[in-house]
Amino acid sequence: MPSTRRHLLLASAAMLPAAAGQAAAQTRAPDHAHAAPAATAAAEAPRPRSAAPKDAYVYIGWPQDGQVISGTRFKVWFGTRNFGVAPAGVTTANTGHHHIIVDAPLPALDRPIPNDRNHLHFGLGQTETMLELPPGVHTLQLLMGDADHIPHDPPVMSKRITVTVRPGRPQAVAASQPQ
Amino acid sequence: MTRAHLLAGLAAIALLGGATATAQRRAMPENARVYILWPPDGATVKGGFWVRMGLSEGGIAPAGIDKAMTGHHHLLVDADLPPLDQPIPNDRNHLHFGLGQTEARLDLPPGRHTLQLLLADENHVPHDPPLASKRITITVLP
Repeated sequence: MPSTRRHLLLASAAMLPAAAGQAAAQTRAPDHAHAAPAATAAAEAPRPRSAAPKDAYVYIGWPQDGQVISGTRFKVWFGTRNFGVAPAGVTTANTGHHHIIVDAPLPALDRPIPNDRNHLHFGLGQTETMLELPPGVHTLQLLMGDADHIPHDPPVMSKRITVTVRPGRPQAVAASQPQ
Repeated sequence: MTRAHLLAGLAAIALLGGATATAQRRAMPENARVYILWPPDGATVKGGFWVRMGLSEGGIAPAGIDKAMTGHHHLLVDADLPPLDQPIPNDRNHLHFGLGQTEARLDLPPGRHTLQLLLADENHVPHDPPLASKRITITVLP
């Protein structure tokens, strides 16, 4: 792990001349002192994005675009095609983990996906979730992130769908025929 | 001397390994559930079809990844549950999704078939308690 960090540091030093002096100074520090500065450098310096096959895609299997949902708590099922699911931190090729973007545009695709109430992370490798949203119109979009939460290249993301949440009794999830 | 130590060590490892293989099957969250989202039980399909694999509470991880509360899917086609304390066989009746896939395209000969999901850990050994879906029956039309 420390050697990987050092590689990252060296890589970021190469890409960011301004930070080179700082990074070089850090490589002389004892290993245990690296963690925080290395993480910062890695987050700031764009690194090559993980590759994804061209035919990989994700989609929201439930709910459907335009759906009116009764009950403010509902299940969202993540569809993943020609691609695998892996927890955050796992670097297996052609895998990633899901993020749901709620009521927000796509974030920058060359850096880690933000982690807040509009960008939900599923770093355990979950393939579904229960969402609770206030009544009204909401948009949902899935975006895969790699081991470090950075979208793949090309990005593996779903269509952005719109649902209307109405107060009331929850309804059962009805499976729809996959295309 | 060295060889004797090595042998003793190997024997100990083998014993430990044997013991942990049965005693230490992985756990999943108590309310975790595996289910076949599609096709529904009793469905009739024509030609190739997609199977969508559902997992509630818990995560998917590729085979070989050691991470608590995760596993990967296996689809049993026309087969009974295999022994739950050893790796799931890998053959045409026991399909492995070791990349962490959650859906698969199946092409089965016309007739009635059964499908059942069984989650397993990084070594393809089912969890304890095992996480298996209901076994469903479908009919494939020619």
